[in-house]
Amino acid sequence: MPPEYRDLVEQSTYGHEDRGWKDIGNSKELIEAHSLCAGCPESMAFRYILASLPNPEDTVMVGSTGCTSLVFPMVAVHNIHSLFGNQNAVASGLKRALTVRFPDRIKDVVVLAGDGATVDIGLDMTLQAWFRQEKFTTICFDNELYANTGGQESGLMRKGFVAKMAPTGKKFDKVRLPEIARESGCCYVVNLTVSKPSLVEKVIKNAVLLAREVGPTYIQLYTPCILEIGKNSMEGLQEMRDSEKPGERFNYKEYITDEAKQYLADLDAKKKSAVIPAAQLTE
Amino acid sequence: MANELSETQKSQIGKQNKKGQTYTDPNHLFFKAPRTAAFYTGSEVIKEAIRRASVDVMVAYPITPQSEAAALIGELYAEGYVADYMRGESEFAVMGQCAGAAFGGARVFTTTAGPGTMRAMENFPMWVGSRLPIQMIVTCRGINSPLSIQPDTLEMYFLLGTGMLMWHAETAQDFFDWMLMGYIVSEQPDVHLPLALCCDGFFVTHTKDTVMLTPPEMCLPPYDPYRSPVVCMDMESPPVRMMRDPFIMKSNYISYMTHASWQEETRAACERSRKHTIPLIGGLIETENVDAEILIVASGTAVSQGREAIRLLEDEGIRVGLVKVKSLRPFPFEELREATKNAKHIFVPEFNVIGWLATELKAALPDNHRIIAGPHVAGGMTMPAEVIVRKNSDLSGVFGYYAAGVS
Amino acid sequence: MQKEKYRVVAGPEAYFVPSAARMGIVLPEPGEAHIEGTIVPEEEAMEFAARKLIEAKNPTIHPGPLVLWNWNEKAAKKAKAIKILADAIPARMIPMADYRPKYPKINPEVEINPNHPNLTIWHNKEDVCLFVGVHCHMANLSLKIIRGGTSCFTIAMCAQAGHEDAMLSFRDATAEKILRLAEWVSKLKAAPSVRPAEKGTGDGAGRKSEKVFVK
Repeated sequence: MPPEYRDLVEQSTYGHEDRGWKDIGNSKELIEAHSLCAGCPESMAFRYILASLPNPEDTVMVGSTGCTSLVFPMVAVHNIHSLFGNQNAVASGLKRALTVRFPDRIKDVVVLAGDGATVDIGLDMTLQAWFRQEKFTTICFDNELYANTGGQESGLMRKGFVAKMAPTGKKFDKVRLPEIARESGCCYVVNLTVSKPSLVEKVIKNAVLLAREVGPTYIQLYTPCILEIGKNSMEGLQEMRDSEKPGERFNYKEYITDEAKQYLADLDAKKKSAVIPAAQLTE
Repeated sequence: MANELSETQKSQIGKQNKKGQTYTDPNHLFFKAPRTAAFYTGSEVIKEAIRRASVDVMVAYPITPQSEAAALIGELYAEGYVADYMRGESEFAVMGQCAGAAFGGARVFTTTAGPGTMRAMENFPMWVGSRLPIQMIVTCRGINSPLSIQPDTLEMYFLLGTGMLMWHAETAQDFFDWMLMGYIVSEQPDVHLPLALCCDGFFVTHTKDTVMLTPPEMCLPPYDPYRSPVVCMDMESPPVRMMRDPFIMKSNYISYMTHASWQEETRAACERSRKHTIPLIGGLIETENVDAEILIVASGTAVSQGREAIRLLEDEGIRVGLVKVKSLRPFPFEELREATKNAKHIFVPEFNVIGWLATELKAALPDNHRIIAGPHVAGGMTMPAEVIVRKNSDLSGVFGYYAAGVS
Repeated sequence: MQKEKYRVVAGPEAYFVPSAARMGIVLPEPGEAHIEGTIVPEEEAMEFAARKLIEAKNPTIHPGPLVLWNWNEKAAKKAKAIKILADAIPARMIPMADYRPKYPKINPEVEINPNHPNLTIWHNKEDVCLFVGVHCHMANLSLKIIRGGTSCFTIAMCAQAGHEDAMLSFRDATAEKILRLAEWVSKLKAAPSVRPAEKGTGDGAGRKSEKVFVK
């Protein structure tokens, strides 16, 4: 067997209760390699997310067409690409099938797609899955443009930004998807960058746990396309830090319903009480 | 022996589902179980077939003329015969939801029609490439502008190239039998393709007919996703590092070769369905009097009208044979060559403006000057048997020629 | 229209290989196998396959994910049987660990994969190979590509309905069936008429097969 499979058996973090971003570098990662540009913040985001999934051994991911789909073949979690923009429709069917087939077990479904897939071509299916209260997490890698096709305008692009297909600057505001998500029935919505791995870990864990029991969750992560905004490989982190300052587009923003808050508080309380074995926490 | 069950499926035979139905060996269910006559609309027949099909997930969306059938499956869900049921938001989304459920190892059912089929079109080659054995009923209706809800089979033309299995039902009885048989064929590991089971909207869906039903207390064995030719996406089967389906995007010969082989393999799977389909639906075509020099070759309700025309012509002393094309994908090349070898004139009546069946036949049969495309009707027009008789005579004088006893 | 029956033979066959199913080859029924597209009793194919494997310069087994992982009892039993077969021949084992395009490249000495722009089956030095435990769709892709571009004789030990795109295919494979093939290998090796070929490059089948990796 190729060495990466031996490593996966011997050193991966499947089944570890306390897995998290700090495993990166010590344990076998669930992402083997990536073919993204050097320094692409998306690659960091991918690693943090895969390290943070609470239950990767029973998680199926759904992606969409774009830069992310060049990474997904390397991911050691079953994942689906079918068409551009239909990810939340596929995830709806998938979650239902897994619920029918495994009624007594937890099977997490996590969507991870770019902003074009989530907000433009797939917006209908993104919103409808939330309206229907489909129990899975939607993660949007927001790089504010179509990266894989070469930097065209997207709905999440800033107003005024000059890009392909916006030759005189984008004419309308960045779509306020986090607010739309809140109004569409998501019980937990967070808008952030991937500059702080521990924060990403906490948010992803919350989102997946809440999607199991409470309702749909939405996470929008700024993963700037350094190539298309004219930055160098080393500048991705600074770009994210700059954009999360107060008043900026990716200043940390969280919406959570009372029910979701209560659910997380209950989980926390259970975790602190020693009588309950850790294994039951996520079940 | 075609149409085998897996060990897992065999172990289910004789057991009961939660509705008290008994998982029954398909061959017993289809050919030996007692049948009872019922007088039902086509939509009700779809419901009765699904009651017996052990379907896990059905995704519905309203579009005439399939809305009634899709809603009736909802009643089955409420009664507990279908494990999950939802209304999607558009046909594009519906077919994505079906794909998701099939990726997750469920037996999936959906219905669509006309503009819905067209809206969903991007999904069908994806279903095929991903080897998802979804069953989709297509109750054909007009797709042109101006909008029409009336029967018209033009949409089938667009499905012919998707790689799906495609059968064209003539009657509600075909429908009932083929829906159940369709799952058995399309879930075979060497086939594992989606099936578009087509019928002419309204003519089949909204008219009542006598249909011989299998006992409601018997149902198909459940789907076994672990003999699929591709990985079931449930994190229960290896390999774990698995993307359905990966991009092969390097710009070199072997990448293109992988894509080409992939497409070739899905078409090969369609070919392999022949041996499973033939014993179940009784051949890819059905023939009557093909020793006659004049033949009518048709599919769907055009077959029924052809039968009627043949009866009228018989009254005039003209003998005409009939070929009913049941399967369009796989296409019955050999069967059609054999059935038409004596024919001097082959008429192809169709419910669409372009005559796609005649085009297919012209490409498949030798001496294709024998093929007379038509008559055509479209946009919901009926096709009275007299039109077939008259048009043929007008066009070619053939019937007059034979009626005069010259041969 | 009646043409000569198509034969599934070792390539290199064509720039773009037609699938054997489209050329009219039909899969065997239970108890049967096929050799070059002709249906034969399973025992006949056993003998033929064993002879091919023994006489090969570089016989290679490609175990796929379904037998590389201990995901059910049958898989573990099959993996053990494959090891016995590989030792009996003796054959090299190059696994098809998964089906992903792997960047920047795969090492054909270590693994093969139909979705990879590098399906060179051990630098095209395999003359006889056997697929086992590969999902049918992926096996068919690989078998077509190999038939198109190489002269390798392909054998499929399929747990389902078999493969027309292999030059020889069994169906309904079980651990017992794999062991029966191993027995045929041992039996024929004892017979004076069947002689192993001169081994190719020295780093080929002569060396002991790698261990099947079971979780």
